[in-house]
Amino acid sequence: MSKEKISSQEITDLLASKASVSKRAAEEFLKVMIATAEDALLAGEVVKIKNFGTFKLLWNEPRKSVNVQTGEEIMLAGYYKVAFVPDTALREQVNEPFAHLEPVVLDEEISPKEPIDETEPVSDPLRIFTEQASEIKDLISEIQALSPSSRSAVSEEAKTKPEEEKEQAYTNEEEKIENNDKITQDDPTLKSRFKEDDSKLINEEKTLIQTDGQVLLDKTAGDIAEEQVQSEDVESQLLSELSMTPYLENIKPIRRKKVWLWVLIILFLLTGISAGLYFFYPPANEFSKRYSVAKISEKVSALKITNAVSKWFSSKPKQTTKTVTVVIPKDINDFDSIRENQSVDSLQILFDNPRVYTKFIASEKIREGSRLTIMSKRYYGQKDFWVYIYEANKDRISNPDKIDFGTLIRIPKLDSRLIDVTNPRCLKKAKELHDIYVKQETP
Amino acid sequence: MNNKELITSMADKMKVPRSVVEVLLETTVATCTELLLEEKIIGFQSFGNFEVRKKDERLSVHPSTQVRTLIPPKLVVNFKQSNILKDKLKDLSHHE
Repeated sequence: MSKEKISSQEITDLLASKASVSKRAAEEFLKVMIATAEDALLAGEVVKIKNFGTFKLLWNEPRKSVNVQTGEEIMLAGYYKVAFVPDTALREQVNEPFAHLEPVVLDEEISPKEPIDETEPVSDPLRIFTEQASEIKDLISEIQALSPSSRSAVSEEAKTKPEEEKEQAYTNEEEKIENNDKITQDDPTLKSRFKEDDSKLINEEKTLIQTDGQVLLDKTAGDIAEEQVQSEDVESQLLSELSMTPYLENIKPIRRKKVWLWVLIILFLLTGISAGLYFFYPPANEFSKRYSVAKISEKVSALKITNAVSKWFSSKPKQTTKTVTVVIPKDINDFDSIRENQSVDSLQILFDNPRVYTKFIASEKIREGSRLTIMSKRYYGQKDFWVYIYEANKDRISNPDKIDFGTLIRIPKLDSRLIDVTNPRCLKKAKELHDIYVKQETP
Repeated sequence: MNNKELITSMADKMKVPRSVVEVLLETTVATCTELLLEEKIIGFQSFGNFEVRKKDERLSVHPSTQVRTLIPPKLVVNFKQSNILKDKLKDLSHHE
């Protein structure tokens, strides 16, 4: 790349026309300027020109070298050299095309072993979930082993009180139910369904890793909810019977014992799964942060799903959740933790919602040297938020790096929570969007 | 020698008021900056060349913490002294 060289003569002409002085005067001025600077430098002084830079002498130490032709060692004498340090103003002006770039701290694991990094977060949650699944299966089989004895005890007690016909009927009914329960649980199809559920969960985790963490958490919630709908067809029959009979409330000591056993198991599962979630989510989030290319449209659809799911659940009576707690602790646990996440993230919803720009605080024409980042810095106090200006003007900008001169850019009025400079999440979100848009135009 | 001293010294040599020199110097700086922004090399005979050079992105490793940081590319102003100036500086003896 060859650059055009401007000679002293041309500089003189330019200066003369700009300062509206004669060429002679301009020439003399430049000569005197250089002579003065030279004299000062030769006298060992530092010469500083405002808005341009500083000249000073640097001493280069004498050093040894080798004559290339003869192989002889020679000594290079030390010498002075004029060093120029540009002023901050000049430096910033010159570096403007790259001003939006910032140093990126790389994690130590990324660059040397990238392929490992990609697979690790996938296998990790997989392992955790299979562990959880096997744990749950073990617990179920334990419960099955326990239940016959307690059931026989129940029926015995029922026999000792023959006058309570109604209650016996209940017990019989319950026995039937439990038999049903046992059959279904013993049934290989059900076990395979459990496995299916597990593999579904795993699949979901995979997709969760591939895209934005929060959005897919919602998706998981939706899928789990759907699963619940399917399984409820079978279970709700049993369960409605269970809950309709005032069975749990019936004061029977042995029955209570069983309830306590259930409570203990649920507590155990809760702690186990929450521990699993704790270990699983950090890598997933980090991974998705790094590799997410989630399009906004995807987010919109995901949001719709979330809304639908939350509506669906709010309309449901409490009874179902209660009954589900007794039978499938796994599902309810997952669902609970996800719900908690949702309620905490009001800001996340703000991020995921498609932003609609209706109010504008200003508008600017693109001139030479105009930049969205600089506008963002001026209006929002942070250059990272240029992405929102870009979003608001997407219809007129095809490429944020090359905007035609004369394009009228409207500066949108933004929610103050969205451009909170002190909130690291806002900055993070803006950077994510930045990555998306920058990747878009340079695939 | 700072900006003021330079202006004073030049005004004395040219025998013109300081204000005139100040305006001219500002114009010169503005002109040079503009030319540099147009990616042109400015050559002052007998003094040296000013040029904008692109420094490529690079990976820096913190010596003690081993944290790897990607430094983005940047444009910097480079000054290369002319041979005339270099010869003048050769006569200068090192005293420190």
